[in-house]
Amino acid sequence: MKMFENILLPISSEFYPRNAMERSVFLAEKFGSRIKIIYIIEEKTLEKADKITDVYRTHYEKEETEVEIEHEYLSAADRIIFDDAKEFFEKRGIDFQRKVVKGQFSDAIREEMEREHYDLVLMGFEKGCLLHYRIIDNSYAPIWIESAEKGREIILAVCSNLAPNLKVPEMGEKLSKSLGWELHMIYIVDMQDNVAVDGQGQRSGRKSESELIDAGKEFIREMGKKGIDVKMVKGSIEKETIRAAREVGAGLVIVGREQKRTGIMGIYAKTVRKRLVEKCNYSILLTN
Amino acid sequence: MEKKKDEENSFSRWNALSILVAFSVLAVFLVSPSPSGISHEGWLMIGILLMAIILWITTPIPIAVTGFLIMVMQPVVGAAKAEEVFHSFGNQAVFFLIGVFIIAGAVEKHGLHRRIALKFLGRFEKSPRAFTFGIMLASAFLSFIMPAHGVAALLLPIVVSILIAMKAIPRQSNFGKVSMLAIAYGCSIGSLGTPIGGARNALAIGILANEGIRISFLEWMKYSMPVVVMAIPAVWLILQVAFPIEVRDVSDARREIEKQVGEMGSMKRDEWVVSAVLAITAILWIFFSSPEYLGLGVVALLGSALLFFTGSISWEDVEKRVPWGIILLYGGAITLGVGMNSTGAGSWIAGAMLNAAGNNIYLVILSLILFTVLLTNVMSNVGAVATLLPIALGVASEFSGISPLLAAMIVALSGGFAFLLVISTPANAITYSSGYFSTRDLLKAGGVVNVVCMAIIFAVAVIYWRGALGI
Repeated sequence: MKMFENILLPISSEFYPRNAMERSVFLAEKFGSRIKIIYIIEEKTLEKADKITDVYRTHYEKEETEVEIEHEYLSAADRIIFDDAKEFFEKRGIDFQRKVVKGQFSDAIREEMEREHYDLVLMGFEKGCLLHYRIIDNSYAPIWIESAEKGREIILAVCSNLAPNLKVPEMGEKLSKSLGWELHMIYIVDMQDNVAVDGQGQRSGRKSESELIDAGKEFIREMGKKGIDVKMVKGSIEKETIRAAREVGAGLVIVGREQKRTGIMGIYAKTVRKRLVEKCNYSILLTN
Repeated sequence: MEKKKDEENSFSRWNALSILVAFSVLAVFLVSPSPSGISHEGWLMIGILLMAIILWITTPIPIAVTGFLIMVMQPVVGAAKAEEVFHSFGNQAVFFLIGVFIIAGAVEKHGLHRRIALKFLGRFEKSPRAFTFGIMLASAFLSFIMPAHGVAALLLPIVVSILIAMKAIPRQSNFGKVSMLAIAYGCSIGSLGTPIGGARNALAIGILANEGIRISFLEWMKYSMPVVVMAIPAVWLILQVAFPIEVRDVSDARREIEKQVGEMGSMKRDEWVVSAVLAITAILWIFFSSPEYLGLGVVALLGSALLFFTGSISWEDVEKRVPWGIILLYGGAITLGVGMNSTGAGSWIAGAMLNAAGNNIYLVILSLILFTVLLTNVMSNVGAVATLLPIALGVASEFSGISPLLAAMIVALSGGFAFLLVISTPANAITYSSGYFSTRDLLKAGGVVNVVCMAIIFAVAVIYWRGALGI
């Protein structure tokens, strides 16, 4: 079975990440994948414009403008994005489909993933837009977020006391072999949330630093048996990941489902993954 | 779906919280004693002002509803009598606004604005830089004769179709960014030029009229045009530096404009009629809108009536194209201004500010500009001007070096400098929806543009308005 047989490439009308399309060509050629591009006309942007112009424009005028904007979105999809897709995929004989939907980015992706099975969601990420990227926290398939900055052919797999650490090493190994990229792995002991997460994703009670370090050493021994060197570091998962990625010049950082709770209220820091995506200048693969 | 529901619930919780905070603030003013130097009515007006600011910034209810809440709350809390509140609503500037919207509706209905825009753009297709300057000029010029948000809505599809024809990639093409920001900023700057461009101009004229200072159309232009003339090239230059244009050839743009002009065909009868009415109205505004002649409102309504006489517009069109909500917003804003002045609340706040700022006239002018620009970027322009104009007039009454007209022009024109955020002004929101620039791009360019425009208005206020015109 191919690693990424079906790849979903969602593109929002908010912005067009051309580098994600280029990456999908690379992956499709490596894994013989089928690509489906969904172009999402962002309702949120239209609603925002509607709300802000609320008192200044009549319902009729707003509808008129909305129709015109939608028309331009479709035109942009046809004449720029799908044209690029033809150029990228058809020339290389890559099987691809295209679809246009209207809705919210994360909802549209989730609905598409309910309709068809995908092995990978490949997308871009931009901070300066209205999208919330909720899909980052609740997708069954891995999400590859392609960065504008190109790293070297190096994979950095990030494990920690806050994740099950099953899929990340597995994905790291497989990708390293398939792509021929060098694999680096780190294990982060994050004392900001001093618990351990087991294979089922269950959090333990509070642990001492030495207990967490021992668990890390155990993980490193297991990986050593497979011939993988793991470096142990202590610190915040976000900061250490970014530091390690910069040090090795990673082309891809693989992160698992980290369950970090922060603050005195013990509230889930739902944004650990999102914060990493925001701060890390390298491409990130989020596994589940 | 469940997630979506949660978001909707949290959204309404946020709305409820905003409303609760706004009314709690008012309640605090209602139950607390007024400090020395201000009447209890004035103290209550400050409470209403703060309530309005919270509601205008957080927008849990439409901004027009906040407008009429201002009117409603004045008699409810005892800040003013109902007759006084509604009396100030009857200012002729409100009828000027209605007339302007009817005329703009006719222009939009017959696509005259599209023709003007395309003709304009056609003259600037020599190079990509010239083209973006053309977009900016077209936006500004059209905003002299119709409301700025209507101009942004018109130019968006025209320019996007040109960008698509040129294969300019959204978010990546600097040419796309500059073109779209040229629309947004061109509209904002152009809207300062005449009383038509923004409702805040009419609001300033209305509040000044209540103070016994009447400004004609031509006088407004005499004060505002230097700011427009200086700001347009300066802002265009900033955009060129912030986003160096990568495109070299505009032949695709030329072809797209020619195609669109071709599709429009020759001028139709109604377009000629609307052009003629527009020209007549403009002449009447320029030469006969001073108080001793007809006034702004009468001319606007005369122009509107002419459109009905010639059959160029029907009542159905008026229903489709006149946003009555803005009249309520305007009404609330003007009663706020009048109430703040008549109760002495504006002077009281101004006095407190002057104590802090000292007696340096330049510092006072700069503070007025800075406060207005900060506020107009986070709330409706009309709301920002409505909030600060009474305080500015208070400054004028407390400070001998600043006249009410000077203070009002500073606030009214600075109120148009909403360049920073998508929410700052409808023109920003409309052009943002094109997908060609990000919120970061807006912040990056808008920050510099704001500073430069503040410097321009400061220079104009000190050298031209105060120095040369002696206002």
